[in-house]
Order: sequence, then C-alpha cells, then structure tokens
Amino acid sequence: MFSVSRRALQSFRTPSRLVNASQLKCRRSCFTYLETRRGYSTQPPPSSNASARDRNAVGVFTPKSAAIFILTGAGLLFYFQNEKAKVLEQQEKERATKAYGRPAVGGPFSLTTHTGATYTEQDLLGKWSMVYFGFTNCPDICPAELDKMGLVLDAAEKEHGKIFNPVFVSVDPARDSPSRIAVYLKDFHPAFTGLVGPYQTVKAMCKAYRVYFSTPPNAKPEDDYLVDHSIFVYLMDPKGQFVEAFGQTVTIDEMLQKMRDEIAEWKSETGRTT
Amino acid sequence: MGWWPFGNSQSSAEPSPPTREERQKCWESRDAYFACLDGVGVVKPGTEGKACSNENRVYEKTCAQSWITYFNERRKLAFQQKDMLAQAAAQNAAAKR
Repeated sequence: MFSVSRRALQSFRTPSRLVNASQLKCRRSCFTYLETRRGYSTQPPPSSNASARDRNAVGVFTPKSAAIFILTGAGLLFYFQNEKAKVLEQQEKERATKAYGRPAVGGPFSLTTHTGATYTEQDLLGKWSMVYFGFTNCPDICPAELDKMGLVLDAAEKEHGKIFNPVFVSVDPARDSPSRIAVYLKDFHPAFTGLVGPYQTVKAMCKAYRVYFSTPPNAKPEDDYLVDHSIFVYLMDPKGQFVEAFGQTVTIDEMLQKMRDEIAEWKSETGRTT
Repeated sequence: MGWWPFGNSQSSAEPSPPTREERQKCWESRDAYFACLDGVGVVKPGTEGKACSNENRVYEKTCAQSWITYFNERRKLAFQQKDMLAQAAAQNAAAKR
C-alpha cells in the first residue's frame, strides 16, 4: 500500500514538475501564443456571435443614449454660446476704456527752448500740447503748418480758454540754434515754444514720437540743404499722453472738432479741462 | 557770398532763418518763372533756352539753391502726375465705351 502509493505519488509528481516548468517557461515567452490558443478554443457558436454584432450595431443608439447625446450637445452649445457672449462683452468693455489701444507715441526728452531754458516732457503737463516737427529753412510746408497751428490755437483758446501749449521741435540741429529758432518764430504765433538740442537728443525724441527726418548727422551750419521729415501736428493731453496726429490734409475745422471732443471727454472724466 | 542769397544785413557767423517776407518774395518769383515756362510750353525748368531769363534771374536771386531744386523737382513731378491722371481718365473713359 505504502509502496504503491509512493510510486503513484512519484509518478504523479514527475509530470507535475514538468508541467510546472513548462508553465513557468511559457509565462515569460509563450504568453501570446497561449492567449491566442485560448481565444480559438473559447470561440462562441456562430449564432451567439451574430446576436452580439446586432447588439453592437443597435446597442449604442438606445433611446436613453440618444437623449444623453442630445442633452450633452445642447448643454455644450449653450455653454459655449454663453462664454462667447461673455468674451465679446469683455472685449467691448476694454475697447471702451481709453487706455486700451493708445499708440505708444511720446516719452521723456530734454531739449533747449528758443530762449535757452531746459524743456522736458514734464513741461508738456497740465496743458493740451500741439507738437510740430520741422526746420527753419523749410520752403513752404512747415510755415504753412505753423500758420495753421496758429489759427487753430486762436480759435481753440477762444473756445476753451488758455489751456494750450504749441511746440515747434527742430529736426535740423546742425543749423537751428535756439537763437535762430527765436528769430524764426517771430513770424508765427507768439505762444510757440521752439525746441532743439544735440543731434542724438533730437534723434531720440523723434524716435519716441515716431517722427522720421533725414538731416545728415555731419551737416554744417553754412550748408544749404533741405530736411525731409514727417509732417504731423501731435495733440497731447494734459498728462502728456498722445491723443492724435493731424496730417497735412486735416483742416482747421477738423482739428478743432477733434479737440472739442477730446476736451469734453477729459472733462467728463476729470471734471476739469486740463 | 553767403549761403543765403538774401538777408545780407546779417553778416554774423550764424545765418538768419528766412523770414515770412523773404519766403513770400521767393514764392512770387517762382510763380512768375513757372508761369513764363507754362507760357512757352516748357515743363522742365532749365530747358527753356533764353525764353524766361528775366524771371529766372529773379527766381535765382530770391530763392536759396536748395529751394529752387525742390520747387523745380516738384514742378516736374506735378506734371508727371497730371499726365498719369489724364491717362488713367482716358483709359477709364475708353473702358466704359
């Protein structure tokens, strides 16, 4: 009994160990093979396979899932439309505020007036400044523009009071000394302040004001040349911030209207005209 | 001989800027010279021969050389522009027909 059972045990044990070893081996290297084989062996009968296909075809689109689909779609549509309306409203609000979209024109500078005093961006504060860039040897455009500024100035002062500051900046530092500008400005409105400085200083200010000019840096005072330059009258508010650039074709009435609008808006915001 | 043909009273080192009167005089002499050129049918200043020598002499005397160059150049450009606009108008008219 014992011997038989022992033999039986031995005969049982040996194959079991072999199976175990092969299983171990297969667990690492023959995994996919076993899986595939198992897959083939447990293949369902053809009839049940067809019903599963039917369930797959219809099953996703039950009335319940259709309702969820439509509700989710409607919800998303509502959400995005709502969000879009909010964004547009926000953009509109930003556009309405003045600080948004103001061109970066202007900045710090330090030049000399036609009377020899120092003049910086601080001197533009507290008044509405009209800034023009030109040169005294200008054949016809600069004098015409300066005359136009004088007429605008007289009309605007009559309307709003003495809250304006006309400035003439020379883009010809080689020839336009403060005293020469002083002589030149005698022909124009007496309120004008003429400004000039060393070439690099004028160049830096013109860059800040987005003004182009073409004076050769090594020009001599006795040379006879013209300076090509941008023709704009800049309107700056009492904080010294850029408001508008008036080109050569803008009429006196158009300039006055723009100033009227800007001063009215300024007054509604601050309660003052300056 | 200074760089500036008028304002001889100022003989200091620093030439004075042109005054309103001087500008006015220069513009008038320019207009007179250009009117003469129009009269003899010349567009390009300097190609009119001796036709407008009197007007030209006054023009040269009352305006700085840089101004003369500038005004002459502008006259040529103005005529070119007029030609181009006339051509464009003629083309438009032809296209409409």
